[in-house]
Amino acid sequence: MKSIITIELGTNAVRVFAFDLSGNVIGSMKGYYPTFHTEPDYSEQDPEQIFITMLFVLKNLLNEMIHPKKYKVACICFSASMHSVLAVDKNSNPIGNAITWSDTRARKESQELKSGEAGRKIYTATGTPIHPMSPLLKITWLRNNDRERFDQTSKFLSIKSYIIHQLTGEYMTDYSIASATGMLNIHTVKWEDDALRYAGITADMLAQPVPVFASAGTLKKAYQNSLGLPAGTKIIIGSSDGCMAILGDGVRGEGKANITIEDSGAVRVMGDKVLQDEKGRFFNYLITENCYVSGGPTNNGGNIFEWFARQFGDFKGPFDIENSMQDLITDAAKVAVGSDGLLFLPYLLGERAPIWNANARGMYFGLNIKHEKIHLVRATIEGILYEIYSIGKTLEEHRNITSLSVNGSFGTIPLCTQMIADMFNKPVQLRRNFHSVSYGTFLLSATEMGIYKSLDEAAQTVVLPDEYLPQQQNHPVYTAYFEIFEKLSTKLFEEFEAIVQLQQRYGVAAKTEIEKI
Amino acid sequence: MNQFVLQQQGSDELRLFPHIHELGSRKNVSIHLNTFCISATETLRIYYVIEGKFDWHIHGQQHIFFPGDVALILPGQPFGNEQGVLEIGSLAWIHLSMHKSENGNIVPGPWSGLSENESIAICKILSLNNSPALLKFTEAGKILKCIQDELLGKEIGYHARVNHLLDELLIKVTRQLSRQVNTGRDFPKSFMQLEQVLRQNLSHQWTVEEMAALVSLGTTLFTERVKSYSGFSPINYLINIRISEAIKLLKRPDINITDIALDTGFYSSQHFSTTFKKLTGYSPSEFRKNHLPNK
Repeated sequence: MKSIITIELGTNAVRVFAFDLSGNVIGSMKGYYPTFHTEPDYSEQDPEQIFITMLFVLKNLLNEMIHPKKYKVACICFSASMHSVLAVDKNSNPIGNAITWSDTRARKESQELKSGEAGRKIYTATGTPIHPMSPLLKITWLRNNDRERFDQTSKFLSIKSYIIHQLTGEYMTDYSIASATGMLNIHTVKWEDDALRYAGITADMLAQPVPVFASAGTLKKAYQNSLGLPAGTKIIIGSSDGCMAILGDGVRGEGKANITIEDSGAVRVMGDKVLQDEKGRFFNYLITENCYVSGGPTNNGGNIFEWFARQFGDFKGPFDIENSMQDLITDAAKVAVGSDGLLFLPYLLGERAPIWNANARGMYFGLNIKHEKIHLVRATIEGILYEIYSIGKTLEEHRNITSLSVNGSFGTIPLCTQMIADMFNKPVQLRRNFHSVSYGTFLLSATEMGIYKSLDEAAQTVVLPDEYLPQQQNHPVYTAYFEIFEKLSTKLFEEFEAIVQLQQRYGVAAKTEIEKI
Repeated sequence: MNQFVLQQQGSDELRLFPHIHELGSRKNVSIHLNTFCISATETLRIYYVIEGKFDWHIHGQQHIFFPGDVALILPGQPFGNEQGVLEIGSLAWIHLSMHKSENGNIVPGPWSGLSENESIAICKILSLNNSPALLKFTEAGKILKCIQDELLGKEIGYHARVNHLLDELLIKVTRQLSRQVNTGRDFPKSFMQLEQVLRQNLSHQWTVEEMAALVSLGTTLFTERVKSYSGFSPINYLINIRISEAIKLLKRPDINITDIALDTGFYSSQHFSTTFKKLTGYSPSEFRKNHLPNK
């Protein structure tokens, strides 16, 4: 029996799944790796620890679930989070840690580029919003602020490229990860000269972009031995976690959009056209030639609800946040739609789409004497989802959306899924306890192996069995409140900036905690 | 509380307790100059504030103590008032002599009923402590009071009772220390703090008990939480960090492999080599050869 192994190098952990050729999960394991915040706006990971963790988890999974059952590994395929940058020297040894997507040290570089015509041009060519997350700006930051590291650097890699280099010795990056660097022209699929010039590097300092189906080389002998895999085991480069999350839900083509809400969130569509947004609010990432994943990301998802639970939830045992959150969800369900007029702006971590304002901050609005704690609970959840709705509405300026799918631990909480259906007034489909990113990576592998003719065909086979229909009476209530929510999110621009200045001046804790994203 | 000071040199009450260097309680009604200067001793000192407000320097940092608070001063740490003043108020304190075991760990000594592992764990946690102020920790005051009563009363069994109470004091102080930095609400944060301590003390032979105590959990719940959060057992997670750090050191030509093994917490270069090869397929020296400049 053959199996397909998928390896997701996510924000906090590596997740390894084993599928049979029909897409049934044989088993899965995860391994956590830490993110270091040595400065308030730094967010770094140790590439060696990521590699060792990946190897450890992969080896355990193979030894416990694959080898004993005599499965043959047909291929190993990767997905990874986007926007990471790792500098390596001429011996391919890392210089310092990898800088992850949530690192915002390149704030100044980002503002500079965004304010000029050059930024607009680069966004149009590359599809990556001009934002500190973009590797283009991280590399620019290194050139401006860490000259020693910049000068020693032979290549700037993504974490996935480094991991693959360790395993096979090849230097390559797939189209989707490459197109999230802010330096790949997504129309010509070549490194964009303007962007390279802006960062001060040449194309040979980046890994070679290859299609997501490309072979990433042969496993080094030592790893064949330690993992117990034959020399011919196919290694597929794969894609990014964002692109795989939407593919895994089978969302492809007209009328469909996908919502992911884990700690952070995103609303995405997939199609054969780039979304050309005048205001530069959306990302456009390339999966295969003429297939793009477009959408908007939010910083404030399930992590904001966790924050609320930590502060105000009841803890029955130490660190028992799961039950604490469950109780809050039960409370929230007791409150009427719209939280009896209490609104919450969830911008505790600043915000990306659609307002792209790192200075935005949270707020409860409309409190009156009759509001109780349970109103705050529900308002918090509604606020997080209004923000998702807000991204969806801006996407609808470009695409006609008729149905939605949702994944991620927060988005698939039944109360949340129903709220999404009611806010959008559209049916929402999902599969519970399902790992969309890994399943998307399975579909990609299976397509490469010829089980499906194309990603399109693979996507069409996805069945999402659960459906939430909008409750007609709720939509007008949400719409009415959302109008105020939307106004508040931009109206407070000056006050957001002013309070952030004070937080930076007087609030020590605020400076280290809030500015991470 | 009665006012008294018992000292090892001269107090008959401490004859059976050579490990109690000093024990006292004092009500200070006027400011005394030059009686509380900053000094370091070889003893572990615990001060409990009963009344008043005290401004003390511990290990170079200023802390203010209110009733119910405890100051914990490790052997060798300078402690006192910056102006040498003992402020108005009431205090109780104890100075405990500690032993140095064969492998350099500081442990309570033969009087203690703690097992060797627990002694090492407790002293490790005390020594990692960077907050010598234990706030609102009235339990410590009660234990000190009991010790005093036992010593002065000399009822049947007091010899054993005093030593039990000393153990209890050490245990409670340790628990309070980790409880203070772990609210029990934010596991990611507590785990990150633990991570940091492990990295900074990688050569230490960590036990699960020690790691669990650092995040203020029992070993059962700790192992469960770590497993569900990280995917690894605590010991395997630690091996992960060890190998990752070792890889970084192997990529630098100036450190020999035995030193790397010991620095990263392996028992020996043999143990390092076996663990490393099992995971990566390379021996440390092969791995190094592949990654050194100009191979």
